[in-house]
Amino acid sequence: MFSLRYVLRETGQNLWRNILLAVATVVTVGVSLSMFGGFMLFQVAVDGATARWQDGVEFIIWMNSDDGSAEDVSVRNQLSESPGVQRWEYVDRQQSYEEFREFFEDTPEVLEIISAEGVPPYFRVVPVDPDPDVVEELGSQFKGKPGVRTVTFAGDVIRDVQNLSNRTGRALFIGSIVLLGASTLLILNTLAVAISNRRTEIEIMRLVGATKWFIRVPFMLEGLVQGMLGAAVAITTNALLRNYVIDQFSTADGLQLLAGFKVDDSELLQVNLLVLAIAAGVAVLGSILAVSMHLNE
Amino acid sequence: MIKMEKVTKVFKGDVVALRDVNIDIGKGEFVFLVGPSGSGKSTFIRLLNREDIPENGRIFVAGRNIGGLSDWRVPFLRRNIGYVFQDYKLLQKKTVAENVAFALEVIGKGPQVINRQVPAILELVGLARKMNRFPHELSGGEQQRVSIARAFVNRPLILLADEPTGNLDPNTSVGIMRLLERINEIGTTVVMATHDRSIVDSMRQRVVELDRGMVVRDQARGVYQ
Repeated sequence: MFSLRYVLRETGQNLWRNILLAVATVVTVGVSLSMFGGFMLFQVAVDGATARWQDGVEFIIWMNSDDGSAEDVSVRNQLSESPGVQRWEYVDRQQSYEEFREFFEDTPEVLEIISAEGVPPYFRVVPVDPDPDVVEELGSQFKGKPGVRTVTFAGDVIRDVQNLSNRTGRALFIGSIVLLGASTLLILNTLAVAISNRRTEIEIMRLVGATKWFIRVPFMLEGLVQGMLGAAVAITTNALLRNYVIDQFSTADGLQLLAGFKVDDSELLQVNLLVLAIAAGVAVLGSILAVSMHLNE
Repeated sequence: MIKMEKVTKVFKGDVVALRDVNIDIGKGEFVFLVGPSGSGKSTFIRLLNREDIPENGRIFVAGRNIGGLSDWRVPFLRRNIGYVFQDYKLLQKKTVAENVAFALEVIGKGPQVINRQVPAILELVGLARKMNRFPHELSGGEQQRVSIARAFVNRPLILLADEPTGNLDPNTSVGIMRLLERINEIGTTVVMATHDRSIVDSMRQRVVELDRGMVVRDQARGVYQ
């Protein structure tokens, strides 16, 4: 039988006795999870900003005419028959307008001016060869065709943003994984010190008949508390990052590309829940390793 | 209460700590374990508390073969066995009362039980008025009384004491032995390992002598020799 009061008191005392080590562990867990959270948030933001240009889409054919018109059929036939086109996707006027609204949701003045009729349908095209010259030549074949408003290319800026995001994301991801490994070891080490400090107490507990789990739980809870405090640091950092860094990009004047560079509340919640789950995983792993290595009879 | 049948304990390097030990200790007996250092006294006590398992033979405590006990049942066995250490092993940051209460708390006893049993046991060991003192404020004899109180607070069937007077002067030792005798009179089986000749000779209880892991003498109302 567990006494909740006993477990909480022992956990609190353990943390207090090793306060410096506990703080170091919380900070390390917090920093590593903040890096991971930051990586996730930037990925979400970049994906939002370059949504139309995901999965190898190199150019977009903006149409004047709607689905089923003679001009539309002509463009479809040309896309289907062109050996240079790997695949294509049609986005109708309604879908296009919804994307537009999502893209500019933070700038209501734009949304007020433009109605669904003002947003054209389009074709997203993935070419066989992503070489810029080939893409340019392929896309140009559609310029000036009846029903075609304009053709836009992914261009260097989009690709640079995606590449930078991928590279930075990879570095942040690797860094956060390394730090999460270090966090696990630090939790293990903090608990090992706590166990060592309480050697006599543990020996007495065993001899008077305390169960294995009664002895283990306060230490495991200590590890979990450290992990959760680290997660709290990371969640706070994520909120600050979203509110004061990422959102600033989306409202920056003159950067239309960055209009979609934002993270909404539900996306932030998802990232935070993931951070919380990873923190719990790291804490549980560190705690289990510590008690099985240092508290095994 | 305690029965050993052909118990042999061998440590690493083929060091034989106990060899073919047969012994039967009845309920309410007081037994001294004597013998030179390394004769197997501590191993004998550790086996009774299931801190070690013998290589051969069977050990029965209160009719149960403790060698076949699964790990999760061991704590419940130990709740019936009190343990007194030579070096007291008190928690220095806890008061006398907290040290004793600790033994009840960690086996899940509630505040009501603790508030009833701790003052009663401290009264028994003569430390009721020092219940709020810390161990470093007590003499060696008083610290050992706290250790005995902690071992006995759960009213175990058996009390194991490994050299409980080893760190005490002769006069203080006598006080500790009177206390153990009182606990024995209540009906608790006491098994005490000791080197203290004068205590063994004065108490005239059963004496089991070990030498190189073997029982070489088992004498009722015996002396140290």
